[in-house]
Amino acid sequence: METQYDAIVVGTGVSGGWAAKELCEKGLKTLVLERGRMVKHIEDYPTINDDPWDYKTGDVITNETKKVQGKQSRTGYTTTESRKHFFVNDLEHPYNETKRFDWMRGYHVGGRSLTWGRQSYRLTDFDFEANLKDGIAVDWPIRYKDLAPWYDYVEGYIGVSGQNVGLPQFPDGNYLKPMDLNCVEDHLQDSISKNYKDRLLTIGRTAIITEGTKPGLGRMSCQYRSRCMRGCPFGAYFSSNSSTLPAAEKTGNMTLRPHSTVSEVIYDADKKRATGVRVIDTETQEVYEFNAKVIFLCASSVPSTSILMQSKSEAFPNGMGNASDQLGRNIMDHHLGVGASASTDDFQDKYFFGRRNNGIYIPRFRNIGGDTDRKDYLRGYGYQGGGSRRSWTSKVAEMGYGAQFKEEVLKPGSWSIGLGGFGEVLPYEDNRMTLNYDKLDKWGLPTVTFDASIKENELNMRKDMQQQAVEMLENAGFKNVRGYDGDYALGLGIHEMGTARMGRDPKTSVLNKHSQIHDVPNVFVTDGSGMTSASNVNPSLTYMALSARAANYAVEELKKMNL
Amino acid sequence: MDRRKALKNIGTGIGAIAVTPTVVSLFQSCQTATGYTPVFIPQEDFGMVSNLMELIIPATDTPGAIELKLPEFLDAYVDGVWNQEDQARFAEGWTAFKSSAVKASGKENASQLTLEDWDAQLANYLKSESTPSEDDLAAAFADQLRGLTVNAFKTNEYIGENVLAYAPIPGDYKGCVDLQETTGGKAWSL
Repeated sequence: METQYDAIVVGTGVSGGWAAKELCEKGLKTLVLERGRMVKHIEDYPTINDDPWDYKTGDVITNETKKVQGKQSRTGYTTTESRKHFFVNDLEHPYNETKRFDWMRGYHVGGRSLTWGRQSYRLTDFDFEANLKDGIAVDWPIRYKDLAPWYDYVEGYIGVSGQNVGLPQFPDGNYLKPMDLNCVEDHLQDSISKNYKDRLLTIGRTAIITEGTKPGLGRMSCQYRSRCMRGCPFGAYFSSNSSTLPAAEKTGNMTLRPHSTVSEVIYDADKKRATGVRVIDTETQEVYEFNAKVIFLCASSVPSTSILMQSKSEAFPNGMGNASDQLGRNIMDHHLGVGASASTDDFQDKYFFGRRNNGIYIPRFRNIGGDTDRKDYLRGYGYQGGGSRRSWTSKVAEMGYGAQFKEEVLKPGSWSIGLGGFGEVLPYEDNRMTLNYDKLDKWGLPTVTFDASIKENELNMRKDMQQQAVEMLENAGFKNVRGYDGDYALGLGIHEMGTARMGRDPKTSVLNKHSQIHDVPNVFVTDGSGMTSASNVNPSLTYMALSARAANYAVEELKKMNL
Repeated sequence: MDRRKALKNIGTGIGAIAVTPTVVSLFQSCQTATGYTPVFIPQEDFGMVSNLMELIIPATDTPGAIELKLPEFLDAYVDGVWNQEDQARFAEGWTAFKSSAVKASGKENASQLTLEDWDAQLANYLKSESTPSEDDLAAAFADQLRGLTVNAFKTNEYIGENVLAYAPIPGDYKGCVDLQETTGGKAWSL
C-alpha cells in the first residue's frame, strides 16, 4: 500500500471534493480519505426512481427508522424511506448533549453534498466586517474581494441558477437562468415591491443546472422531479459524486480510500509541520499512517475540530492549533423554524408544471445601515419559502365524505404560501463542543459533547422574523395568515460551523486568512470550521470557495518551498 | 363482518340505503379482506373500520377504499409511523366512536350496527355544522380517520399513476399554467 502522497484530503463533502479536485488538477498525488462507505454516482442511489407507494407506508419516517436514527430524524425530513441511507446510524455514531444539539450528517463518499439544500449565496462585506464593527468575537481576516473571484469560479463550475438583483447586501453572481416563480409567489413579489422600499423577493439561487451542461459525470439540466436528496441520475444538482470527485479522478492523481476514519494529524515538532495522518480502517480496525506534504481537513466543522482536538502532542497538549483555546468554541448554525404561512382563494384556475426543488428568497433587510438598523438585536436574516398547491383543504372537508368528497380530493387544494426565516447566530465562546474520553465509540475514539444554545440576540431577532413575515403576507392580501415560532435547537439548520475560526491573531483564533492553522502551516481546514461569523446565508458555497482558494494557495506555497 | 347479518340489517334499516354497486362491492370485499391480519386495529374491528373508510372513499367510477386496500395501508401506517401516544389516542377515539354509535342507534353492541348507523355516526361528526368540543374523542377520531383515509388514497399506486395527474419525469418547470389545460383539473400525484 502506498503511504506517501503529496497531499491528503480528509472528507469528501462539498469542501473535500473541491480540495481534491484543485490539488489533483494542479498535479499533486492526493489521498482522499472518507470515513464512510463508497457511494458511486447513480449506481449507488438506490431510491432515485421510487414513488411514495413503493414503500409500505409511503415516503415517511417510520418507527423502525427512529429506533436507529432517532436524532437524525429530528428534522422531520432527513430520514424518510427514500433518504435514510444517506444519514448515519445514531447507535453506531453516538454523541452527547449537555443541551439539545441536532447533528445531522451522513458518513459516505460525497457526504452531505448528496443531501444538501443546494441554496448557494455569497457572503458580503456586511458579514466580513460585522464582528469588527460590532466588537463581537474577532475580525475576519478576509474581505469580500478576497473571495469574490473564487465565488465566480465555483459558481461557474458547479452551475448555480438565480437572478442578479443588484443589492449590496446580496451580491450578484455568475448564474444560469433563474427558475420561474409560481402565481402566488409572483403576486407576493409584486406586493412586496409595492409596499416596501427596503426589500424584494427573488427566486432562490440554487446549485442546479437550468441550461446547458457542466463538467463531471454527464451533468445536464434539471428534469424537475424534485427528488434531489436521493442523488440525481441527471447530475443536475451539484454533488461531489457527480462533479468534483470525478474531476479529481480523471487526473489520475487521486487515491480515494473509503472506510477510513482519521484519528489524528501527526506532528513533527522539529520541522514544526504535520507529517501525515493516522487512520483507522473502520471495517478491519487496523491502523495505518499516511504521509504527505500538505493536509486538508474537510470533514465538516465538528469532525475536523474533533480530529484537531485528538491530535495531542508535547507541542499541542490541548490539541493541534489550540494555543488560543478557541478550538471547539463559537459553534454556530442558522436559526430557523420561525415565520408565517397563509393561503388564498385566488388563482384557482392556475397550476404549475413540474416540481421545482427550489424556493423563493427575500434577502436580508435589517442592520445594513440607516433606517434598517435595529436596537433590539444585531445582524439579520433572510426568508426562504414558497407557494404551493398541494393538499386538500378545509373547503373540501366541508363536504364531509363520500363520492363528491372523493372527487374533490382528487383536485388541487387552495394555494398556500410560506416564509421561513434564516437568521444569523452570533459566535459565543461558551457555545462549544468538547470530547468525552469516558464514552468512546466502537473504534475507540472519544465522542463529541455539545453544550450550546441560542441566546437573547437570536430570540429577539426571531420575534421580528415572525412579525415581518406576517406583515408581508397580510399586505399581499393573503388569507389565514399565521405566524409561527417552532421548536428550534442549534444544529437544526444543519449548518454547524465556527469551531476552528479564522482570525488575524494566533492568540485568539485557530486559522489564518488562508485557512492554515497558525502554528502548523501545512494543515489547512477549509470546511465550516473556519467561519468567524455565520452570516445569515446558506454556507456551502463559501466552503467551496474557501477550499478552492486554499488549495491553490497551498500549491503555490509548495512550489515556493514554503510548506 | 357477518355478511348475511349485514345484508339483513340493511333490509331492516330505517331510511334507505340503495344497494348500489358501491354497497355490493363493499360486502364482497369483506370476504377479500379476510386474508389480511391487521397489526394495529383489533382483528374483530377491522371490518367495521374498513366499512367506515369505504363510506369516506366509496367506489365510484374508480375503486373505493376497500378494493384499493386502504384499510390495510392505514393499519400499517398507524402501527409503523405513529408514536405510542398518538396510537393510544387513536385507539381510545375508536372506542369512543364505537360506543357513541351504539348509543345513538339504541342497539346493544357494535356488531349490530348497520351501514346506516355508521353513516349516521360519520355524518354526525363530519357533515355537522357545529364544531365538536376538543375533548370529544369520537369527533377527533372521525377527523383522524378521514385524514388517514385520504392520505392512504393519495399514496395509492393505482390512484397515483392512473387517476391523479402523474408525471415522474416532467422535464421542465412552468410556474403558472392553466389548470384545465395542464391536468384537466386533477391534482398532481407527486
